[in-house]
Amino acid sequence: MSGGLQRFIAAAPWPQRAGLRLLLALGRRPRGAALLGRVPLLAQLARSLVALGRYDEPAVARALGWDAAAVVARGRELRRREGRP
Amino acid sequence: MSAAGSGRRSAAVGARTGHASTRAGGSRLEADFCVVGAGAGGAVAAAELAEGGARVILLEQGPWHDPDAFTARPPEMLGRLYRDGGQTATLGSPPIALPLGRGLGGTTLVNSGTCFRTPPHVLERWRREFGLQVDEDSLAPCFERVERALSVAAVTPELAGANAGVARRGAERLGWSHGFLRRNARGCVGSGVCAFGCPTSAKQHTGITYIPRAAAAGARIVPGADVREVLVEGDRARGVLARTGRGRRVQVRASAVVLACGTIHTPLLLERSGIPDASRQRGRNLSLHPATAAFALMDEVVDMAHGVPQSFFVDQFASEGIMIETIAGPPAYAAASLPLDGAAHAAAMASYRHLAQIGLMVSDTSRGRVRTPGGRPLIRYDLVEADVAKFRAGLARLQQLFEAAGAREVYLPLPAGVPPERATARDLKLMGFHPLGTARAHARATQGVTDGNLAVHGVRDLYVADGSVVPSALGVNPQLTIMALATRLAFRLLGREVTAAPHRPEEEKSACPS
Repeated sequence: MSGGLQRFIAAAPWPQRAGLRLLLALGRRPRGAALLGRVPLLAQLARSLVALGRYDEPAVARALGWDAAAVVARGRELRRREGRP
Repeated sequence: MSAAGSGRRSAAVGARTGHASTRAGGSRLEADFCVVGAGAGGAVAAAELAEGGARVILLEQGPWHDPDAFTARPPEMLGRLYRDGGQTATLGSPPIALPLGRGLGGTTLVNSGTCFRTPPHVLERWRREFGLQVDEDSLAPCFERVERALSVAAVTPELAGANAGVARRGAERLGWSHGFLRRNARGCVGSGVCAFGCPTSAKQHTGITYIPRAAAAGARIVPGADVREVLVEGDRARGVLARTGRGRRVQVRASAVVLACGTIHTPLLLERSGIPDASRQRGRNLSLHPATAAFALMDEVVDMAHGVPQSFFVDQFASEGIMIETIAGPPAYAAASLPLDGAAHAAAMASYRHLAQIGLMVSDTSRGRVRTPGGRPLIRYDLVEADVAKFRAGLARLQQLFEAAGAREVYLPLPAGVPPERATARDLKLMGFHPLGTARAHARATQGVTDGNLAVHGVRDLYVADGSVVPSALGVNPQLTIMALATRLAFRLLGREVTAAPHRPEEEKSACPS
């Protein structure tokens, strides 16, 4: 699990946090995903979680034209150069 | 931390102690006004009061966020900048995600920056149904003052990006009323992550506008202060009790208290403090502007995260309670909300550069309720049939808009095989970004928690300056309304007329868009 996704889940209140970890674990396994398929809302949540983590990976995102590090670097440079807060 | 960031922080946080004394187990502070919450309402009220010469203490539960720590990566920033990692949700049919910002700036730190004045027909309703003495003319100086402070201006087509271009093309071909949104931004370069912490500090959220002004005017800003109780003596509010992150107790004594904890938490603090509620409306009347969004696969490269995510609106159906606005984000954000499964999801994401996204929000007549069993907020909200009908109509129009723009495929946020006209509440995938109404203003104490001056009925010297006082759904993004009402409240507390003129002409002049 990526650090960002860990942080996202860790920020949830306790009952949700435990539920999200379980959903993520199930959603990543074919058998678990099939089990979740019986409850569409939970299946949707699990898919969203898995997708959030997967497409947040820098290499995956860069291949799709999004470079978070470059966006951040440009922001820092602009703030430094223009004295922005 | 950059030198500029460090300087700003030191100016904003703990700038002046005022009258402070340390006692065993805690500290005691004194001020003319204690403001609780540093979001859209609290930050504005604190700055205006401090600049008006009052001694102000501003308490904020969340931290100050260093923009140097922003990563433009959605999961991490959700975890850092949002209350409960952005995972607040309602119970009901359907459940609705309700992300709320937390920290200096509140939700203004993570919203899209869209700025609408309160629609005139809404103000008319407030006069007619709630007995509030507000109209366009009387609020105009408040709006002008806020808009100058926040550098509000329309997004340019170039900055709006190709995602807005898709919506614009569709709206023009259909002959639907549309336009570029006005936003509180200065020097925006279209980083595409307004909701995840602006890396250029272009978005003029209250954490970098009003809070530094408050600090410069002598207000003491205290982040990490969790206010547990409003102190009431006789029938007057006389301060608050708070706990800091280290468990220290802080007592603030003040001549008046302004609550701005947000629509979900202000009614809970009132309840926790034993404030009487003759109206029995506290925590009720919750409106959300529930929203959803559709994607489309376009022939052209859209690169939806390159540009301002929320930059273009279609208000053709505003009179029906349907507002269409573009929305966008990086791949992780899009992937989490793309309404497809398995191979279809993977194929669509492989074409992420060609995906466009447009959202719709509904001016809801459904009303929810906030309660606090076990100390945490429990939010109940069920979508009534009239609002489900708005979503049916809205989703059909989103499809129409995308098709008019030349979409190859449209992905509506509905279960497979369910067309918009057959959608039920349980089929909808909704989010709410604009909770309002849980301490609604009403001229009569039997009908509202606060009065037309935003004073809490039944307790003197206690005021509310956040979305909870807004008595009805607005149909448009509410931050400007909340800020204008907070401005009006601050000037009334100071006993002065609101002037539209900027407070510090040399600074405001450079802040105004050319």
